[in-house]
Amino acid sequence: MSRAKLEKLGVQLPLFPTTSVGSLPRPDYLVQARADLKKGMLGAAELRELEKKATAFWIAKQDELGIDVLVDGEQYRGDMVAYFSEQWPGFTRSGLVRSYGNRYYHKPIVTAEVSWPGPTTVEWWQYAQGLTRKPVKGMLTGPYTMMDWSFNEHYSDRRATCLAFAGVLRKEVEALIAAGCKIIQLDEPALSVRPEELPVALEAMEAVTSGLDAYFITHACYGAFEHIYPKMLELAVDNFDLEMSNGDMRLLDLFREHKFTKDISFGVLDVHSHLLEDASKVRQRIKQALSMIPKEQVWIDPDCGLKTRSVDEAIEKLRACVEAAQAFRN
Amino acid sequence: MNLLLASTGSYPRIGDSAELQILRRTFAAADRGEKTAADLADAENAMTRLAIEEQARAGLDVITDGQTRWYDPISHLAKKLSGVRIDGLLRFFDTNSYFRQPVLTARPERHRALVADEFRFACNALGTLATPTGKAGKLKVKAVLTGPYTLAKFSLAEHPEMRTLEARVQAYATALAMELHALADAGAERIQVDEPAILKCPEDWQVFVQGLDTLLRARDGLKQKGKQIEICLSVYFHDAGALYEKLVALPVDVLSMDFTYNPKLVELVSAAGSPKALGLGLVDGRNTRLEDVGAIARQVEKLLPKITGGLAYLGTSCGLEYLPRDRAQLKLELLGEIRAAAGL
Repeated sequence: MSRAKLEKLGVQLPLFPTTSVGSLPRPDYLVQARADLKKGMLGAAELRELEKKATAFWIAKQDELGIDVLVDGEQYRGDMVAYFSEQWPGFTRSGLVRSYGNRYYHKPIVTAEVSWPGPTTVEWWQYAQGLTRKPVKGMLTGPYTMMDWSFNEHYSDRRATCLAFAGVLRKEVEALIAAGCKIIQLDEPALSVRPEELPVALEAMEAVTSGLDAYFITHACYGAFEHIYPKMLELAVDNFDLEMSNGDMRLLDLFREHKFTKDISFGVLDVHSHLLEDASKVRQRIKQALSMIPKEQVWIDPDCGLKTRSVDEAIEKLRACVEAAQAFRN
Repeated sequence: MNLLLASTGSYPRIGDSAELQILRRTFAAADRGEKTAADLADAENAMTRLAIEEQARAGLDVITDGQTRWYDPISHLAKKLSGVRIDGLLRFFDTNSYFRQPVLTARPERHRALVADEFRFACNALGTLATPTGKAGKLKVKAVLTGPYTLAKFSLAEHPEMRTLEARVQAYATALAMELHALADAGAERIQVDEPAILKCPEDWQVFVQGLDTLLRARDGLKQKGKQIEICLSVYFHDAGALYEKLVALPVDVLSMDFTYNPKLVELVSAAGSPKALGLGLVDGRNTRLEDVGAIARQVEKLLPKITGGLAYLGTSCGLEYLPRDRAQLKLELLGEIRAAAGL
C-alpha cells in the first residue's frame, strides 16, 4: 500500500530501497571549524559554508554509493532535539546532561509557549535536494520525543507539551511539502519509554501528519518495543525505521506473534561498533527480515544515525547496505 | 519525627566550568591515547570529591558518592562479575540515557568488590571536608546497589542455566549478598537497593521477592555478628501506587519511592500509613522546574504522622544525574527549605 503511495507521489524506488537514518559523521575540517567558532576564531557565515561543503560531500558520496533515498547528513545540527530548541521560541538552554558513556548534551528547557518561527529545515533540504536527482528525506524530530527529551517548566503536563510540539511540527512538515519534499522522517526514539503514554504519542503524530501529502517515516531505536507492539503500528506514518542489529534481531520475535503491517526500514548494521559486519552477516539479517515481512515492504539501512562513526567507517557501512540490497534484488 | 535529608543516588558528573569538565576531557584524551587509566581514576576521584562536597554543603544528612564512576546502573556491577559479557546499548527507562546490556555466558559470580572500595573512598573523602555546622558525627555515607531483579531483568542469557529470570535473579542476588558483607566490613550502615524495574513489571513480584530475600538474609546474618545494616529499597521511574501495600509489607528497613509519577500517591500513602521508615521522593529529580516549597512541605506534613517509627527521609524522586548540575544543586538546597517550612 505504501509503495503505491510513493508512486502516487511520483517517487519510483527499486525493491529494497537503501537509505540512512539521518546523521552522518562530520569531516575533520568541520569538527575543527565548530570548535573554532566557539573560540571566536571563525564566523557563523564561514562555518555555514563549511557545513554546505560537508553536505555536498555526503550527497555526492551517497549518490556514488548508490543509496536510493538520501539524507543531508545533518552536518549543521548538534543534538536532534537541541537543534530545534535553538531555533524555536519558547526554549532556554540548560547546562550539560549526560547521555551515555562520555557523551553529554544541553537538554532544552521549555520555559514559554513553543511557536513556529517559519521554516527551520527547508533551506537545508532545498540545498541538499538541489545536488541530486534522487529523493532527499526531510528530517525532523517527532513530537513525543521533543517533549520527552526536553525539561518542561511551562506546560501543565506532558500531553499538553507534546501536542504543542505537534502543532509546530505540522507547520514545518507543511513547509517541507510546499518546497517539494515527498518523504519526511519524524524520529521518535522515545516512543517506547512510557508505554502508558503511547496514546499520547499516537495522538500527536496524527496531529502532525494527518491529511498531508507525503510518505512519512519514523525512526525508533534502543527501546522496549515489546511493551508497545503491535499498538505502535497505529502511529500515523507509512514506514517504521527500526534498529534491528543492535538487539540481535529480537524484534522479529514480536513480528512473529503479530504481523508487521507497515513498511520497514530494516537496520542491518550496528552503528555503535567500529567493526564492519561481513557481507554474509548482513545478508543473513535481510533473509531473517524476509522470513517475516514481504519484500515490497522492506527498506535497508543502518540501525541508527552514523554520526558517531568515522567518515570512512560510515562510508563502508553504507556501502555494505547497498551491496546487500543489490544482491537481493538480483 | 526525625526527617533526614538524603541523596537518592547519582549526581551530575559534569558542569559548565572547565573544572567541572575534567572527567569528560580526561576520557576524551584517554580515547586519543593521551591519558592513562591512572589519569582517569584521578579524574573520577576529583569529581567524586566534588559530588560529596556539594551534597554536604547543601545540608544533606545522608549522602552518596554520586555514582560518578558508574558507566550505567546495570553494567557497572555486572561487568565486575565473572560469566558476564557486556553487550550493546539499550535505553534506560524513560531517561534518554543508555545502559550496556549484560549477557550471561555462565552463572555470574563475584570474585572482587563491586562498590565497597568506592564506598571506602567516599568515606575518606567526606572525612577530609570541614564538618558542616550541626552535622558533627551525624553525616553518613550511603552505598548504592542496583538490585538483583533489575539486573536480571536487563540481562540476556546465553548460558542454558541462566535462561530463566529466576535463575538470573538468584545468581545476581548471591553475588550482591557477598557485596553486602564487603560493604559491612568497609563500615557501611546504610545500603540502598535500587529496583526500578519491578514497578514496570509487577507480574514478576514473586521472583523479585526471592531475590530481595537473599539480600535480607545476608543483612540478618550480619546483624547476628553485630553489624547493623539498614536496607533501603528504592523504586522509581514509574507509579508505585499499585504496588504500595505489597512494597511496604516487605521486611526492608526503609522503602523509598518516587512520588512524581502519580499525583495521588501522597493521598494513597497517607491513607494507608506505613509501619516503617519511608524515603519520600517528593522533589522531581527529572525536571528542572523548582517545586513550590510550601506545597511540598504540606505533603510532608500530611505524610509524617502516618509513618510509624519516628524516621523518614526526604529526597529527590531519583538520582540527580538527569539534571544539569546547577539545577541539581538547587534541588538539594530545596530539601532543606522544605524541611524548615514543615517546621522540622
